[in-house]
Amino acid sequence: MLAEIGLVSLALAFIAALYAIPASVMGARVERTAWVVSGRNAALLTFPLLLIAALALMAALVGEHYEIAYVWQTTNPSTPLFYRITALWGSQQGSLLFWCVIMGAFAAAALAFNWRAYQRLMPYVIAYTMATLAFFIGLTLLLENPFARYWVSLEGTLITGVIQPAGALPIAADQWVQPDGTLVFAVNAPNADAVPLMTRLGQTANGLNPLLRHFGMIIHPPMLYLGFTGMVIPFAFAMAALASGDLSTNWIKATRRWNLTAWLFLSLGLILGGRWAYDVLGWGGYWGWDPVENAAFLPWLIGTAFIHSVMIQEKRGMLKVWNMFLVIFTFSAVIFGTFATRSGLVDSVHSFAQSAIGVPMFAFWAIMTLISVGLILYRWQRGDLKDETHRTGILSRETLFVLNNVVFVALTLAIFWGSFGAPILSELFMGTDITLGVEYFNAVTPPLFLILYLLMGIAPLSAWGAMSVGRLGRALVVPAALTVACLVVMVIFGTRLPAALVGYGAVLLAGFVAIYETARGAWARRRATGEALLAASLGIFARNRRRYGGFIVHLGISVIGIGVIGSTLYQQETQRTLNVGGSLTLGDYTVRYDGLDAGQIAEDGRVMDIANLTVLRDGAEVAQIRPRHDLFPGDGAMNSMNIAGAHSTLETDVYVLLVGWDTDAAPGRESATFKVYVNPLINLVWWGGLVLILGTLISVAPQDSLPSRVRAQVTGTKRAGAAA
Amino acid sequence: MMGIFFTHRTSASWFDFRSFSLRLCVLCVLLFATPVFAQTPVTADAVNAVAKRLYCPVCENQPLDTCMTEACYRWRDEIRVQLEAGSTTDQVVADFVLRFGERAVGTPLDPALRALTLVTPFALAALALIGGVFTFARWRGRSARAPMRAAALQPNDDDYLAQVERDLRG
Repeated sequence: MLAEIGLVSLALAFIAALYAIPASVMGARVERTAWVVSGRNAALLTFPLLLIAALALMAALVGEHYEIAYVWQTTNPSTPLFYRITALWGSQQGSLLFWCVIMGAFAAAALAFNWRAYQRLMPYVIAYTMATLAFFIGLTLLLENPFARYWVSLEGTLITGVIQPAGALPIAADQWVQPDGTLVFAVNAPNADAVPLMTRLGQTANGLNPLLRHFGMIIHPPMLYLGFTGMVIPFAFAMAALASGDLSTNWIKATRRWNLTAWLFLSLGLILGGRWAYDVLGWGGYWGWDPVENAAFLPWLIGTAFIHSVMIQEKRGMLKVWNMFLVIFTFSAVIFGTFATRSGLVDSVHSFAQSAIGVPMFAFWAIMTLISVGLILYRWQRGDLKDETHRTGILSRETLFVLNNVVFVALTLAIFWGSFGAPILSELFMGTDITLGVEYFNAVTPPLFLILYLLMGIAPLSAWGAMSVGRLGRALVVPAALTVACLVVMVIFGTRLPAALVGYGAVLLAGFVAIYETARGAWARRRATGEALLAASLGIFARNRRRYGGFIVHLGISVIGIGVIGSTLYQQETQRTLNVGGSLTLGDYTVRYDGLDAGQIAEDGRVMDIANLTVLRDGAEVAQIRPRHDLFPGDGAMNSMNIAGAHSTLETDVYVLLVGWDTDAAPGRESATFKVYVNPLINLVWWGGLVLILGTLISVAPQDSLPSRVRAQVTGTKRAGAAA
Repeated sequence: MMGIFFTHRTSASWFDFRSFSLRLCVLCVLLFATPVFAQTPVTADAVNAVAKRLYCPVCENQPLDTCMTEACYRWRDEIRVQLEAGSTTDQVVADFVLRFGERAVGTPLDPALRALTLVTPFALAALALIGGVFTFARWRGRSARAPMRAAALQPNDDDYLAQVERDLRG
């Protein structure tokens, strides 16, 4: 029954999405409001229908309906309830359905919040969001259906199908499996060894991929999906502006929050993905430049370029064509990333298995990109996208933002080339399969990131329109002096690597500028209004959340930069085999091996071999850690994981992996091999991520969400200023 | 040794420059790298240092030093054996490339492929920069042709508060 509910809901959602497209567009063309409203209602209906389908699948997962193939593939009787729920996005079919639900939610929210304010754009927004949604529902319904079931043929074999095949029967209580695997149809058990087919299905079920049984992996995919699907809304508004001819800043105003919200989720997804990789993949790092990681990073990079460049259009009416291109390519990168992850184009620990959705997805990506670019070119040649002003200085903020866009685009192209371009082209045209790994990315990206951090430090100090060298230089004095002071302290305390000093210099400058500008703003307000410093600080955040939220984001990115430089350039590692009581020293830390707890059985059936280690610093014990090896019996190829034991401080992580042990020795006396990493400053990556999220939340929050006390202060000050 | 240079090929072209250059590169490594003939114990760190430069030939995009599959354990052991036999890091890497192809390394050893992969991103970055410069030049060109309006430019001696207020006003 659950499969039927899910299927019908999915099919109705597909029909509703398809109907909404012509209804809204034709309604707009012939000016029949009732048609547009009908299209809107159909679009709004997709979300509850998709939600019902997802809930039906979740109920099947929780209720152990192993006759549904997806439930059999992603759970088994020992799967805990929590992972039964998260199994909804644990494999291709379920995650596609989950993607559709989130996309439907974003579309419904965009329609609900923007319907009255942007009526001219809305018919086309409906058309673009529903076209995207209909495509993904179509994929789910026709190619990767999570409600496909097992059926029993009259010959007693299992068949998988969405609809009951001719001559096959649904799985029922009167089907029994003999010990030799043959199927018998009988009301009661034909003999004592026979088991009901339903029970047998449960016994043989796959269970969730072990790599997905981690907190980071539970939240990371939904966050990425929220980021990916959220980017569809700005795209739909931009295309609506092009299609309707309303090329004022309306579409920018409408999409600012949607864009930042999607960017926030994408950032969260990337950070959580890094944390998952660090905890679960067991290689001592968080970013391996894997093509699938990069596929998620590309829309983030272009989206970030857009967030900056769209300000130029808002403030100065410039770069209208460029902003359209950025919106399209952000969306294009989202679809391409989804295609790369789900089609089998690249093989990675992050990707889904090879699938039939590759060709239609590639076709959709190409068609949407071509239509969008065609629309821009149409408006461009009509002169509808002309800049409103051209006057600007060489050091103006818009010039520096253009430079920032150049670097973001260069980074995007370089990462795309390394992840997809070069491997695909070399295979197609040279017949050589190549991998571009860390060496490539470490050679190509650091100079670009360095320029980006320098621009992050300089651009906020500049002004719109024009800026003199002297004034910019004066504004830079304090942050630059603080940066130099920090670098001197670092050199004194032993940081001598030129690459590290250059990197830290750029990152610190960007961070100090963010702090300095915020402090300067608060100070200036205090001087002007006579408020206390704290009130003045709250006041500037209240008056312009976007500017000061942005500074907090910059600060977060600077903190991440410090963490990345420290953990990359100063990472130490060693591998050693130790007897019980033996120890090894790496950097300032000593790790002592105290023994092995082999063969521990966890609640979910996994077999854990756990090493007991003591971490010492300067001879004093600082932590007990327990790296372990998990074996998931019967979970197929990917059936084991190395979970690191880590002693984390803000300064350093001591990260230890159990990579082998002697199974012949007496229990508790086994020698074991450990891989030990000392990762300096790595925790700043996560803390910086939190600061970044906080800054984005401040930027994206509506003005009237401020505490009433602060609001009163701000409006009071405004009135006082007006009276004066 | 000749087998490294001349092998039977089924392709239409009798001379494959890329393949030839790769083999030449490998030969240079074999000839000029200084072999250590003594049987010296090789640490796991030395093995991992070599494995870090290699990628698992069966699991795509997985560095060999961190891959935990049974096959990779065996390949790491093979690296240890080769190092113990006196091979240098470059020789071991070249051997893996010969056996498993260019996908066994993080950047191709073949000079033509290597140049192509490493030069292209900088060429793309240069293109992006040219685009930025072109945009700026267009602004400046139109700005020079347009009559100046004093209000459009901000005076440089504005105090900081005025700038913040302008920003706040949007």
